[in-house]
Amino acid sequence: MKVLEIKNVHKIYNSSEVKVHAVNGISLDFEKGEFAAIVGPSGSGKTTLLNMIGGLDSPTEGEILVDQTNLARLKSSKLIDFRMRNIGFVFQSYNLIPVLTAKENVEFIMSLQKWNKKDRDKRTFELLKAVGLEDRIESRPSKLSGGQQQRVAVARALASKPKFVLADEPTANLDSKSTETLLEIMELLNKEEGITFIFSTHDARVVKKARRVITVEDGKVISDERKN
Amino acid sequence: MDMIWKTAWLNVWRNKVRSLVVIVSVSIGIFGGVFAVAVMNGAIEQRVDAALNDEIAHIHVNDPAFRDNYDIKLLVPHPQQVLGTVRETPGVESLTSRILLTGMANTAAKSAGVQILGIDPPEEKEVLQLYKTTIPGTGDFFGEDSRHYLAYIGHELAKELNIVRFQIDQEVLDSLAAKGVPGEVLKKLSPFSGQRFKSEKSFKKEVKAVLSIKEQHAFGAVIRGEAWTFRARSKMTLTFLDREGMQTGAVFRIAGIYDIKNSMYEMSQVLVKKEDLAELAGIGRNDYHQLIIRLDDLESTEEVSATLRAHLPGLEVLNWKELQPDLAMMTEMVQKFYAIFMVIILAALAFGIVNTMLMVVLERTKELGMLTAIGMNKKRVFNMIMLESVFLSLVGGVAGMIISQIVIGATARKGINFASYAEGLEAMGYPAHIYPAISTSFFITVTVLIILTGVLSSIYPALKALKLDPAEALRTE
Repeated sequence: MKVLEIKNVHKIYNSSEVKVHAVNGISLDFEKGEFAAIVGPSGSGKTTLLNMIGGLDSPTEGEILVDQTNLARLKSSKLIDFRMRNIGFVFQSYNLIPVLTAKENVEFIMSLQKWNKKDRDKRTFELLKAVGLEDRIESRPSKLSGGQQQRVAVARALASKPKFVLADEPTANLDSKSTETLLEIMELLNKEEGITFIFSTHDARVVKKARRVITVEDGKVISDERKN
Repeated sequence: MDMIWKTAWLNVWRNKVRSLVVIVSVSIGIFGGVFAVAVMNGAIEQRVDAALNDEIAHIHVNDPAFRDNYDIKLLVPHPQQVLGTVRETPGVESLTSRILLTGMANTAAKSAGVQILGIDPPEEKEVLQLYKTTIPGTGDFFGEDSRHYLAYIGHELAKELNIVRFQIDQEVLDSLAAKGVPGEVLKKLSPFSGQRFKSEKSFKKEVKAVLSIKEQHAFGAVIRGEAWTFRARSKMTLTFLDREGMQTGAVFRIAGIYDIKNSMYEMSQVLVKKEDLAELAGIGRNDYHQLIIRLDDLESTEEVSATLRAHLPGLEVLNWKELQPDLAMMTEMVQKFYAIFMVIILAALAFGIVNTMLMVVLERTKELGMLTAIGMNKKRVFNMIMLESVFLSLVGGVAGMIISQIVIGATARKGINFASYAEGLEAMGYPAHIYPAISTSFFITVTVLIILTGVLSSIYPALKALKLDPAEALRTE
């Protein structure tokens, strides 16, 4: 079952001096439960592609369908709502809300979606337990290590049971031990929850874990390898 | 929505120093505004209370032409019938009748133009509380003294006619010593021993010349109090034109001096017994020029006035708002003035809040981008920033109002002494000792204005936040 279809997507930036073809005719499909990494050098178009997949940017040409819905056809307010319900984000610099506890950060999206308290608490605790932080639920981000914060971010991304999670360089600011822990957790959640994970990364450890590796260069897909 | 509220509230305390600076500035602004309004309001309330309780009561009834020139012949026709009609009108608590003449008050020293009110003391006490302002030891006009040709005069008139004097003698110096006035001050005053001053003005001038400013502030009032003397058997002559237009008059003994801190009233209004004045003026004992009415409920003034006008078609019926339109203007317009005053203060404070919130949006560009990315729509982003701004304003506002309540509570009991401005204030009928007062409705108005300030201050910063592109915002360092 396809959760994401990218059809001949282009992104052209027209600055006053030069035209930049950041994404140049990429077509990809992602199935439910995939654990994929998009790799490529800086300036290859990975981040631009990820932004378009996440609905944070719109393609100049082409279509992006999430669960059969064309993102470009959604109005701004509907797009934000669609993102909230269907797409999870894990950022390089965690981006947790510093004034909220780990528990409150995870349940933030569920609160926006008006989940009742009982279901919210249950899901929050399950996720924090899954990421190994059940004893830190009342801690604020400033009291957590980088690795712990990123685990909270993963839990937050999964809170509303999205169709897929986009992780942009999630291990860039972590030490090797934290990276290892994080990747194991994400792999486990991928298998248990069946949620698709799509990484944008330079990290070889992430590439090693990924079951599909898409190489992008100059805005084009150079290779798309699935591991057994 | 409650997560937005919680996040907004916690965000207020993210940068404690910055938030406290804004909160303190808002609270100082609110305190300043509310306290200033309380002082002004207290002064006005005291003025209105004094006017209604001591001077004019609530409604006057007289001949339509009487107030034009106070013609002695313009008596109220059918006086007993009118009395009965007024007494039976619902809302009327008490009433008294008066004779009013204009004349001169003379002593050996000076003379002054006055309005002579012929009153019935027991009835007058039911309507007005002027009798409560009698300076102790000056007489019992409203009490047991049943002699004829007694006069009750204002303190300012008493000073003007030298009935009240200021003098320093050994007895005064001993009293001052007993009251704790230091020896060095007494030494400075002792050259005046045996001296009787021509007027209060000359007394003040001479004492000021020998005492330092600090000594004047510390001991001025007690020195004035002890140096004040009243000649118990003082008399003055009242002269006026009688009903036939002939000059007449009599010598009146001063049987009381009132002090209502209204120089104009005190200088002009002399009260005597109605029977004495009627006899001298050639007016019938049951005749009168004016009815003074007290109502049981001030709020019913318009209603009762209308009823009396309907029942007394040939007479002029004026309520206190018509008798003293400046008071009515003060009480009605001043509420609007207070609101405008507070709006101006809050508008100034709003700029500080706008500045702070703009900094907040700038600092949290990345976070706002993240929130939009994970699904917080524009309305929620706007609400979060607006709530943060409202909370900031409210905390400062509530702190300011609590401080105001405490200070107003303390000063309302003791009052604030504006003795330096007493002369000017009392000339306008305002007290020099003001008891600040503020209504609950004013506090509610201020609270609403504070919330409005928070909301309006948030608009520009929130719009800035809404314009952020999430993808670009996330790239911010």
